[in-house]
Amino acid sequence: MKQTILFVLVILMGLACQKDDGNDPENPYQFVRPSHFPEPTYTFENNPVTENGFKLGKKIFNDPILSIDNSIACSSCHVKSVAFADPQHRLSLGVFERVGIRNAPGIANMAFMKEFLWDGGGIHLDFVPPNAIENPVEMNETLAHVVQKLNAHSEYPDLFQEVFGPIDSINAPLMLYALSQYMNLLVSANSAYDQFYLGKGSLTANQQKGMKLFEEKCASCHSGVLFTNQDYRNNGLDTVFMDEGRARITEWDGDLGKFKVPSLRNVAITAPYMHDGRFNTLEEVLDHYAQGVIMSPTLASELQQNNKLGIDLTTDEQQLIIEFLQTLTDWEFISNPIF
Amino acid sequence: MKNISLLAILFSLFLVASCTDKSVDPVDEPGPVGLEFDNVAIINDIVRQLNLKTIGDTEYDLMNGMDQQFNVTLLRYYISHIVLEGPNGEYFEDEVSVSATDSKGYYLIDESDATSQAVELENVPAGRYNKLSFTVGVDEDGVLEGAAGGALDPANKMFWNWNSGYIGVKFEGQSDVSIGGASGETVMTDNPKGMVYHIGGWKDIDGTPFVYNNRRLTLNFDTEAIVNSSEAPEVHLYFDVLKMFKGVNTIDFTGNNNVHKPSDGKAAAENLDAAFIYDHIHQ
Ligand code: HEC
Ligand code: HEC
Repeated sequence: MKQTILFVLVILMGLACQKDDGNDPENPYQFVRPSHFPEPTYTFENNPVTENGFKLGKKIFNDPILSIDNSIACSSCHVKSVAFADPQHRLSLGVFERVGIRNAPGIANMAFMKEFLWDGGGIHLDFVPPNAIENPVEMNETLAHVVQKLNAHSEYPDLFQEVFGPIDSINAPLMLYALSQYMNLLVSANSAYDQFYLGKGSLTANQQKGMKLFEEKCASCHSGVLFTNQDYRNNGLDTVFMDEGRARITEWDGDLGKFKVPSLRNVAITAPYMHDGRFNTLEEVLDHYAQGVIMSPTLASELQQNNKLGIDLTTDEQQLIIEFLQTLTDWEFISNPIF
Repeated sequence: MKNISLLAILFSLFLVASCTDKSVDPVDEPGPVGLEFDNVAIINDIVRQLNLKTIGDTEYDLMNGMDQQFNVTLLRYYISHIVLEGPNGEYFEDEVSVSATDSKGYYLIDESDATSQAVELENVPAGRYNKLSFTVGVDEDGVLEGAAGGALDPANKMFWNWNSGYIGVKFEGQSDVSIGGASGETVMTDNPKGMVYHIGGWKDIDGTPFVYNNRRLTLNFDTEAIVNSSEAPEVHLYFDVLKMFKGVNTIDFTGNNNVHKPSDGKAAAENLDAAFIYDHIHQ
């Protein structure tokens, strides 16, 4: 008798352990840090990803219930087929055809970012969605009203109970938790570049030449496996700043016209480019770095070396860099059926 | 089976034992302390209750330090990190923690909701207390954990989405000298007399230009609050809305009164130190 109890206990402990170690390769609904990625920044201890939580987040992300006139979902501006960027609009387009002030970036690898939005005004992933929901030029809603709509919905109350256990009612933080669970699983780490980096695949000779050039000329800002140092820099787009950029947050003139260095993962499919979507192609971007950089007091020092503006790049070199940037497209990511 | 009944007997014995162990004196047992935040206007030492006005109401019942008339349409602020101290080393620190369904130790005081103005502290160790400290606003430990419920729920309209962080003090009203154009919760841009002061800014990082507007205040009592399980002292505090505009900085209502970013709120934030006043203890 004692022995059977012991036996059952051991099995139970074994099961519990299996559930805990978070590395069950069969389960696609758990957050796994790719081995070559840095530690995530998200507070998973408060809000771990679960299958049901992820699915709930996905449902909310795709539901126009978040907008005032039920016309716009998160996915209207963050489109899966282009790594969750917006391929159609230079500046985002919200409810009632209202034009926003910035281009919608892709939202892969959010779990690893320290700050969010082009000016870094978002300091935690949970706090990013309200910026769209309550923005008059995006979804033009209030969190309180969205929560009211979710509570009155035929499915959401049960779904939230399933994910978060017995709760009195749906509240805004739980909705934001669900959205974060969804976004945290949007990890893009399996491009041709990753295969090469991990010694599992190869790049063509030109792609490798492009990579060398990139490391030399671009990686001081677009650094590491995320292709961003997560710093704020002025890359020479303007002299007069319609959008103050980082200075809007720090309220310091020394940050005027600086924007968050964007990750370049999937960049070949996330056009248009820059905070205001001013460039349509990578050719235009490279041309900018080679001969379009404009002087201003906050211009990055890398872009004004030896009394010369911009980065020394022949047209051939520009083409090679573009060939390299194309290796950052993660086809598995954009075709993942669970996203 | 036998084992289980033995366990049950042992357990009930234990329960009984813990019940009969009531020999402790109630004066040694922890007790509650109430804090009441009473929002007022103190004019010539006379304390007047605030009277929230509706938008468009041109009855201006208050005056700032420049003799400019105004009224109040909304007043809401966060109190957090409450600490009580006594002359003999008594010390109580209110627990602070956040989750998606609750935020302990953060209190949203709202002039339009009387129950929000009474803060109940539980399990304060027995003793005598004559000093109260608290933070006006929400520091980084309330922000960096992500979305939180209860007082910190971002649906409470005390959160800046564009520059993540809580508005520590939200004041809205009208002044006959205002140039209008301000926008907030009660005040709209088309309101010709509107004023909006949303005071926030929690990033306190050396060597950076961020403006930190939360205030850590300490109030001394003129008497001691006696705390134990058979007492329930109530500490009565005033928040004098006039002092927000008249103090170390004099605020002019003909100037920018559409305050929505840390630097613009600095002057009013610095005035908050003198705006919170200890009144009396109801033992
Ligand atoms: C109307 C278009 C639009 C909608 C709808 C929209 N977004 Fe965005 N999103 C943007 C734009 C534009 C930005 C960049 C804003 C900025 O930097 O100020 C952005 C930025 C983000 C970012 C930060 C990315 C980064 O790298 O910092 C995340 C995360 C995000 N959105 C998630 C969401 C979620 C979740 C929703 C639904 C609640 C949503 N968005 C709805 C346009 C939109
Ligand atoms: C001094 C830092 C710096 C260097 C060096 C730099 N970049 Fe950038 N890059 C930025 C910043 C900052 C932005 C965003 C600017 C904005 O939107 O206003 C950016 C944007 C981009 C974008 C647009 C991405 C998007 O999603 O919109 C591409 C592509 C890009 N850079 C490629 C390159 C390449 C290729 C090089 C090297 C030839 C390079 N960058 C060198 C800082 C830098």
